[in-house]
Amino acid sequence: MKVVMFKQWAKRWMWLALEMLLLSILVFYLARQAPGDPLQSFYGDAMESMTEVERQAARERLGLNDGLLVQYIRWLTHALQGDFGLSYKYKMPVLAVMKPLIGNTLLLGGMAYITVFILAVVLAIVCAFYEGRLPDRIICRIGTIFYYIPGFWLGVVLVLVFSINLRWLPSSGAYDVGMQKELGNRIRHLILPLAVMVASHLWYYAHMIRNKLLDEMQKDYALFARAKGCSRSEILWKHCLRNVAPAIVNLMAVSIPHITSGTVVAEAVFNYPGIGNLAVESAKYHDYNLLMINVLLTGLMVFVGSFLAQAVNEKIDPRIKETGVIKW
Amino acid sequence: MKNWWKGKPVLSTAVLALIVIGCLGAPLIANHDPAGFYLESLNQPPNKEFYFGTDSLGRDLFSILFYGGRTSLGIGISAAVIMAVLGVLYGCVSGTANDKIDSAMMRIMEFCGSIPPILMMLILTAVVPASNMVSMSVLIGITGWFSLARMVRSEIRQIRHSEYVLYARCTGGGFFYVTAHHLLPNCLPAVMFAMISNVSAAITMESTLSFLGLGLPPAQLSWGSMLSLANRALLYNTWWAIVIPGLFLVMTLLCITNIGNYIQREAGRRHG
Repeated sequence: MKVVMFKQWAKRWMWLALEMLLLSILVFYLARQAPGDPLQSFYGDAMESMTEVERQAARERLGLNDGLLVQYIRWLTHALQGDFGLSYKYKMPVLAVMKPLIGNTLLLGGMAYITVFILAVVLAIVCAFYEGRLPDRIICRIGTIFYYIPGFWLGVVLVLVFSINLRWLPSSGAYDVGMQKELGNRIRHLILPLAVMVASHLWYYAHMIRNKLLDEMQKDYALFARAKGCSRSEILWKHCLRNVAPAIVNLMAVSIPHITSGTVVAEAVFNYPGIGNLAVESAKYHDYNLLMINVLLTGLMVFVGSFLAQAVNEKIDPRIKETGVIKW
Repeated sequence: MKNWWKGKPVLSTAVLALIVIGCLGAPLIANHDPAGFYLESLNQPPNKEFYFGTDSLGRDLFSILFYGGRTSLGIGISAAVIMAVLGVLYGCVSGTANDKIDSAMMRIMEFCGSIPPILMMLILTAVVPASNMVSMSVLIGITGWFSLARMVRSEIRQIRHSEYVLYARCTGGGFFYVTAHHLLPNCLPAVMFAMISNVSAAITMESTLSFLGLGLPPAQLSWGSMLSLANRALLYNTWWAIVIPGLFLVMTLLCITNIGNYIQREAGRRHG
């Protein structure tokens, strides 16, 4: 038994490594295909005044004359040692550029993630309880409308209403100058981005969980519980919710790319100093090293997320170990 | 025949039809030059001359709205077609192949699908700038077909061992014949629905990218590129330049969704 388990874990780690490797190859290749001279982005306007000989020397020094494979392997060996190259725009190691921003993003993304799922489960239970009746119908309608409002537009409208006209909340940034340590100030800055993220993601998950709960309510054991005299809410809470739990965990894992996308948009709209906003900036300024590490980090987060979900699920429901999948 | 409209998305169809007709007939409706910059009347609120007001570049919002709609709807539809073609092809091959190839193909797709779509678009726009309708549609198309492919594949795997498919193969039906005549018609309702929701997803993606400044430039009219001036509109506090294009966008998306849901319900009912 131990050996089998070990093999499974080893296999999964291998997959994780392979996926990261593939992702890095893909991103590296695309970044090198991109138009624009890397020299231009590295030296900026200084390139204009360089002679042809100097340019050649600079190319040689930066290793731009070697084949793509050689460049990739060199990049990989550096990357494995924690050196992901310089940001063309900031002239600093990319990790140093990203470091102060990661916390901000994790705060925003994490808060949004938790809020979305708590509210999604609550809404799903309310909807399932009132299936087909007025509260369910109203929630479904409003939820659908919010789901289809593009996040960036909702953000701009919120800024228009609450920051510019009502002057209740700040419109951008993560904190006011010099107030980095103050919690209240930070929270005030978080409200609008968080509202956008929750509004544009909540219904998608609430709807899925609602349908899953309703499916579960149709099953024989629920009918039996009903025949025994349990109330509808009791069946929902005690029986169905438990059986849906692994599916919710799984949903939480596969939702990471979706919610990360949301962070990128919310950060860009509110000019929030996080890695999502940085990714947009680096795409705009063709700062490929920065963009690459950004995508790689996000990819890592996603892969690790699904990895963890699998482990948690096996704890909740040992049956999954055999089939390995949850069908939606 | 009484109440034939009951349960049908009449309002959505009507609104969507109005918007589509408006976009098609943009030159007839527009009362100003869509390429014109009316510099003497920047940031005008809605009035008699400029029905929806003007933006920070002095363009007449009422006129450019319908021209922009052409681009947005065009991108939505063409991207959805690209997604459908890619998704159906991939799904068919994966669904009919043997288990090894199938699971490998699914792995690849899972991998591609696990990269957040917007980040994927950021990398791709760095390689191919999405600054015109064609490249924008292609980029959205090639990043958005995964869920459709997964759906087609699972539908096909459910029915590929059924007796009538077996019979068709025994009597000499080749891969293409069986796929086209027996397997695909079964997924058609699902593909239809997915295509319709992909249209709205593509329109949203276009507007988001253009808003972020990575898509169509303001000179290339679309609802997204009109909204890319939203930050300037915030500066001048001109709500009409933000709210009006956005409302058109949201209304279009909601109408498309309502119609899509109706089609899915109908297909589900006919299926039993």
